Amino acid sequence: MTALHDAAVEDFCGELVALALAKGASAAQAQTRRSRYFEMQFDNRGPDLVRSTENEVSALTVFRDGKRGAASLNGRSKEDVAAAIEAAMASAEAGVPDDANDVADAPSLPPSRHGPESADRAQMAAGIEAFLSRIRAEFPLLRTRDCLSSFSDADVAFANSHGLRQKERRAAYGFTAMFMAKDGARTTSLNYVDSSRFTPFVDPFQSAGLERLMIETTQSLDRKPVPQKFDGDVIVTPECLASLLGPIVNALSGAALFAGTTPFRGKKGQAIASPLFSLSNRPRDPQSPGGADFDDHGVPTRDLDLVAKGVLNDYLVDFFFSKKLRLPQTAGASNFHVAAGDMSLEDMIARTKRGILFSRFSGGAPNAALDFAGIAKNSFYIEDGQVRHALEETMVSGNFCELLRNIHAVSAESVDYGSGSYPFVAASGVTISSK
Amino acid sequence: MLDRLAAFAGAFKAPGELRWHVNLSTQVTMRKGVLLSNGQSRGGGVSARLYDGGIYGFAAAPSDDDDAIRTVIAKAAENAASVGGARRNAPARAASEPGEGLYDYRSERPASSAAQRVRILKGLDSLIREKYPDLVNVDISLSSHASEKSLATTEGVRTYSYVPRSVLSVRMAVEANGGLVDLHNTLGGFGEIQDQSFEPESLLAWLDDLHEELRRKAEGGQCEAGLHDVVLDSDLAGILAHEAIGHTCEADLVLAGSIAGDHVGGMVASEKITLGDYAGRGPDGKSSFAIHVDDEGTACRDVTIIENGVLRNFLHSRQTAAELGAEPAGNARAFAFSDEPLVRMRNTAILAGKDKLADMIGAIDRGYYLKRATNGQADLTSEFMFGVSCGYEIRNGKIGRAIRDTTISGVAFDMLKSVTHVGDEFKWSGAGGWCGKKQPIAVGMGGPAIKCKITIGGRG
Repeated sequence: MTALHDAAVEDFCGELVALALAKGASAAQAQTRRSRYFEMQFDNRGPDLVRSTENEVSALTVFRDGKRGAASLNGRSKEDVAAAIEAAMASAEAGVPDDANDVADAPSLPPSRHGPESADRAQMAAGIEAFLSRIRAEFPLLRTRDCLSSFSDADVAFANSHGLRQKERRAAYGFTAMFMAKDGARTTSLNYVDSSRFTPFVDPFQSAGLERLMIETTQSLDRKPVPQKFDGDVIVTPECLASLLGPIVNALSGAALFAGTTPFRGKKGQAIASPLFSLSNRPRDPQSPGGADFDDHGVPTRDLDLVAKGVLNDYLVDFFFSKKLRLPQTAGASNFHVAAGDMSLEDMIARTKRGILFSRFSGGAPNAALDFAGIAKNSFYIEDGQVRHALEETMVSGNFCELLRNIHAVSAESVDYGSGSYPFVAASGVTISSK
Repeated sequence: MLDRLAAFAGAFKAPGELRWHVNLSTQVTMRKGVLLSNGQSRGGGVSARLYDGGIYGFAAAPSDDDDAIRTVIAKAAENAASVGGARRNAPARAASEPGEGLYDYRSERPASSAAQRVRILKGLDSLIREKYPDLVNVDISLSSHASEKSLATTEGVRTYSYVPRSVLSVRMAVEANGGLVDLHNTLGGFGEIQDQSFEPESLLAWLDDLHEELRRKAEGGQCEAGLHDVVLDSDLAGILAHEAIGHTCEADLVLAGSIAGDHVGGMVASEKITLGDYAGRGPDGKSSFAIHVDDEGTACRDVTIIENGVLRNFLHSRQTAAELGAEPAGNARAFAFSDEPLVRMRNTAILAGKDKLADMIGAIDRGYYLKRATNGQADLTSEFMFGVSCGYEIRNGKIGRAIRDTTISGVAFDMLKSVTHVGDEFKWSGAGGWCGKKQPIAVGMGGPAIKCKITIGGRG
């Protein structure tokens, strides 16, 4: 067990597979993720927490008689390894047989390396100071809270009983800012950005639309409701689009197809959105820290044009549901990109008769039909082509399927968060109301 | 473990805590009879945090041998020192009443086996799909989570806890006019799976109720957007207490600029509203979550946030208490061994009043009776929202047709002044909740039904 304790991460997860087979599994797979994380947390007054953590999590899945069981553990103690194997075997024994339960056959990739070898902590500290200096000088009404400058570094190894072996190391810097404006009793909503990249955030203002968001936050000290309820346009900002896409891509998943609950059933090859809208998944984008070379089944990931000029090219089907639904596997890790268009944000606003600049959606989870309703936070009222005022207590209601079809402009500007990139998107047919 | 931690707590060169922390969970999920997950996880390790020169240094490692403990203590000190005493003028942390004791809520019954857990799901799935053949989809999940901790502080606190919770969730979907409609409900709460009544034959009435509410929802309509008179049932009152008031009154957010900081001592609600964040398992001892000592070693005690409509107190860590001149009451909590304690809620609830639910509904000519919430969010302006998955129209004082999913919102310090009735029956929400704020954390939420005015989203 000492040898196991000191083994390389790829050897350790290979050994977990071997131990499971020795215990009677007909097939097995293991993924081990060894991670190191460092963060400096700060607010307007400077750092208040410096935190470093290490962890190693192994996820073991075993198969027996067509049944599947799983267990995860962190660390490598002899007792914990034995308990995890026993628990996974017991779960498999108790499971439900399914033809889709199996390990993958796929090519083993050469080990890969993404991102820097180590954190440049001096550059991270310099980035914090640059950020705070600029706030003091240009945004005196802004208050920051729980902002993070971070560095994450992880070795991920995979092994299965079909001989599949994968390994990648991925390291990236992260920058998260939470902020609001306060002037006497006037207080705005929280706003935030969260982005990652392979190089230090020496000047965080150059990324993730931060300057625009800080200007908008300060402008939000004076807020009013919309004059009256109306059906109008929304110009969805990149940060808002990033959150709205979640329910849409879930509805395009193999799990949703199997449930039979997605409105996109039977729509492959058909137009589900405006011709202006194209959505792709790019887990292999070498410029993007948010990707992955292989998925949780060890299968190499691949880039996919999910929606091209409004037409649904394919669904997001992972390894299990590809076998369950007898469809090709198309997904395993995500890193979404919405294609930029050719119109400036300025022109999009100028063409809006009546609507809102929709900056953040705070709403209930959309239902199976993809109806949504929620508050438009950090948002602005637009009338006759001009931004009129910041909004308060304004609700936005609609349906995501209709929203996709009603897109009538996509901006040339786009924001890259490191785990996806998104433009501004204008669409019609949304109900906007205040109390 | 506690003795070993205690021996090392003397090695700190500044005030701080040493924590051994393990999270244990099981999860079985089934969709239309197919097992999508079936397993368990264990994640744990040790962490050290110290407070030096106004800076917290924190380090964690996924093991608990002596070398790991020495290493995290040294790294925590190194981390704090790395920013050169950036806050030398920061006050010392507030003194707090030291916690003590062992709080082991481990079940006395034999642990549920994987076979028992899968059998519950298979039994439920067969029963549901046979009894309700109109369903397009059935999702069932059975999960448990237990947090086990030992804590030793430089100020002499020595404490241990094991706090479990388990939840059964059922979601049904049917075809309806305008697309699919779904609805879910949860059961369970405090304790381990073997402490609950999850056997399918004991859940027949509960399943019938869920299916009937789904049927009515499928026949229902969209809400009319705008400000309405509503009755929020206790499930929503609980999430209201948590999202709308609790978050706004977390002292770290007050220091960030939360509007609550401007209202201490002022009327922020109807005088019928008393709302608090409670230690232990809450005022009736029946919440889904228990806490007696927080992760800074402070003994937990109740905090009255709003008393008869007046804003009284905030929720504190020792650091925020020092900055705002308050006394910490045990609200500093961490989710995992690798997480630092943050200001968090515990069991947050509106206390019961004297009104009857039927009288509240009867007092509304045109409005809504809202029964169950999905997710929620809060803001420093006290503007809140939460999703509503189950509700009904009220017409002329009577329950009418069901409504489809919607979202409600308001500014808490305005909305709570509109409360005219507070129900006489207190309930904790569902099987307990999870709150997200840098880390997830288990919380309890509860209250009685209340009648108020609230903004509803919708296309009707």
